[in-house]
Amino acid sequence: MRLPDFVRTTTFRWTLAVAGAFVLCTLVLFGFVYWETAAYMTSSFDDLITGELHIIAADTPERRLAQINERLNNDPRRVRIAALFGADGHRIAGNMESLPGGLTPDVPADAVVVRVDNRGRETETVRLVTERLPDGEVLAIGRNIEEIGEIAEIVRRALMLGLLPAFGLAVVIGLVLSSRAQNRLSEVNRRIQRIVAGDLRERLSARGGNDPFDQFAVSVNRMLDEIETLIQEISGIGDNIAHDLRTPLTRVRVRLERGREHAATPAEFRAVADQAIAGLDQTLTIITALLRIGEIEHSGRLAGFSEVRLAPLLREVGDFYEPIAEDKGVTISVEVADEATVHGDRDLLFEAVANLVDNAVKFTPEGGRVELASLRRGGESVIRVSDTGPGIPENEREAVTKRFYRSDKSRRTDGVGLGLSQVTAVVKLHGFRFTIAGCPGCTVEIVCPQAH
Amino acid sequence: MLSLHDGSEDNSRVDRESGGQQTSTLATADHESVAMAPRNETMAKVLLIEDDKETADEIGAEFRDRGHDVDWAANGIEGLDKARSGGAEVIIVDRLLPGMDGLTIIEALRQDGLHTPVLVLSALGAVNDRVRGLRAGGDDYLTKPFATVELVARIEALLRRPADSRDTVLRVGPLELDLIERTIKRGDRTIDLLPREFRLLEYMMRRKDQMLTRAMLLEEVWNYKFIPHTNLVDVHMGRLRRKVDAPNEPPMIHNVRGAGFILRAPT
Repeated sequence: MRLPDFVRTTTFRWTLAVAGAFVLCTLVLFGFVYWETAAYMTSSFDDLITGELHIIAADTPERRLAQINERLNNDPRRVRIAALFGADGHRIAGNMESLPGGLTPDVPADAVVVRVDNRGRETETVRLVTERLPDGEVLAIGRNIEEIGEIAEIVRRALMLGLLPAFGLAVVIGLVLSSRAQNRLSEVNRRIQRIVAGDLRERLSARGGNDPFDQFAVSVNRMLDEIETLIQEISGIGDNIAHDLRTPLTRVRVRLERGREHAATPAEFRAVADQAIAGLDQTLTIITALLRIGEIEHSGRLAGFSEVRLAPLLREVGDFYEPIAEDKGVTISVEVADEATVHGDRDLLFEAVANLVDNAVKFTPEGGRVELASLRRGGESVIRVSDTGPGIPENEREAVTKRFYRSDKSRRTDGVGLGLSQVTAVVKLHGFRFTIAGCPGCTVEIVCPQAH
Repeated sequence: MLSLHDGSEDNSRVDRESGGQQTSTLATADHESVAMAPRNETMAKVLLIEDDKETADEIGAEFRDRGHDVDWAANGIEGLDKARSGGAEVIIVDRLLPGMDGLTIIEALRQDGLHTPVLVLSALGAVNDRVRGLRAGGDDYLTKPFATVELVARIEALLRRPADSRDTVLRVGPLELDLIERTIKRGDRTIDLLPREFRLLEYMMRRKDQMLTRAMLLEEVWNYKFIPHTNLVDVHMGRLRRKVDAPNEPPMIHNVRGAGFILRAPT
């Protein structure tokens, strides 16, 4: 026979285990109750018979027989045993046929005796206590203990009545719960299979409740939302990349084709080849820049961070860009207020600042100024690059930090539009902030908190 | 090789677009273009460990054209064998190879005590990979795709490691650079240089007659780990050249179009 799927689930196995443990505990508990009750009853019987024994033994020999008979007459439930035996062991009075052996005087013990009375002989189990009297006679007082056995029967019946239904219920609940869990899981599984197959709009069903399954579904759905957004972004970036690579590649292709048709002299062919190589280099530059951004974003090179002094870094960048600025008729000034340091990767910070200065010099017209400064503001170190160029309009500020964005105004100027994305990547990696202000004139700041 | 070419190619474009502000710098740069880098006078044995046959053929042909002897190994194990058996003066090794990783080869060689200069070629362009390559014992690192001139220049630089650096005065033809006094003279003429220009000239004088590409200069002189978007090297070189080569003097700093710069004694 094939068991249904849910029987193999963990939930069901746990249910069985818990039900089993429950049964075991109940058995132990009931056993304890029975044992304690039996012990209690035995001890009260013992007190009773020992008490009676002493009373009768203390009486005069004549009154003893009367006492025994009175006791036996007053016993409608026929649970009492009382007898007096002679020193030679023959019965003088009472309802016990003979004295069983192995009894210690005055110590109650279990014994199997034969009751004799007007109804005949009957073997029964009793608690019995004996005492040898001064005249050699033996007095025995006992009590039937079959009631204790009845208690065991009651306990057994209680167990049957309580335990079996409880166990059955637990198993049924386990089956229901595990089949429900199994159903939800197979539904989740089906949906995940659809997602794996490429349907990224599929979501897990959440019933709006607060149970762990719903919470799980909600967070999985959130993750799926995020993934979907990222994938759309990636395909968007892919389109941009394709566009920016296609443009120079198309130019290369056209040049090569025209060259094949029209170039006649080796010099002309060489010129065509040079142009083609330049076009290819441009596409490679774009790829390199993109990979570089990816590398910075995912480098997590926090381990290589150290204290970077801003003053020499800015001076070096300024020094590096001074000649090209001078050629353009742009002045570069470096103003470092104090010995500010930031915690970071010097090479990456250098690259970021160089990118900013590169942009500033590129966009500042002749006669303009580019200023590099480091300053402290409210416990934060600030690297500021400002210029007298056209600036970035407010509505474009967020976009310029995205990959491949280039303002329409800058289309004429050389560059691949990845500079600020690289800066953003470096800034993000360091946990710094990047702000753009001013228009016209552009002031960009890298704000570095936790400065020392 | 990537943006390294931007220098010369971008110049013309920037000129057109920015109203020719840089014409003065670039005019000097272009009119002297030397046909090609000088051929290597001495033949060297080059071991090329590269699994792509087409790439290997191209590289091999280029070095044979330049008078070198090229030995080709198509996989890492064969490459390591050939490198161990010695004879190669310089090794070009691809980073990713069948059989054995390029870096493993270098580490194995260095452990054997072989210090043959090694240039690592890689399609992995990341800066971190470059660092890993150099740390493994490589002497230089070049990202694919590269310009042939770039590879040739770097290999020849590895073959001709700079002469004894204990000299305190460097001389190339009439040019004399005093490292202690920080002075430069060309013949009797004293040349005033900014510190950054001094550093550039010192580097070039230590490597006279060698093709120095823009990428090499950025890495070695400015210690740059990235390629700036603008033609910075050309601008710096233009400044230096105007000071070193006066209008009436035969030029010493030569711009090799599409490749880089060479410092040579005037003939």
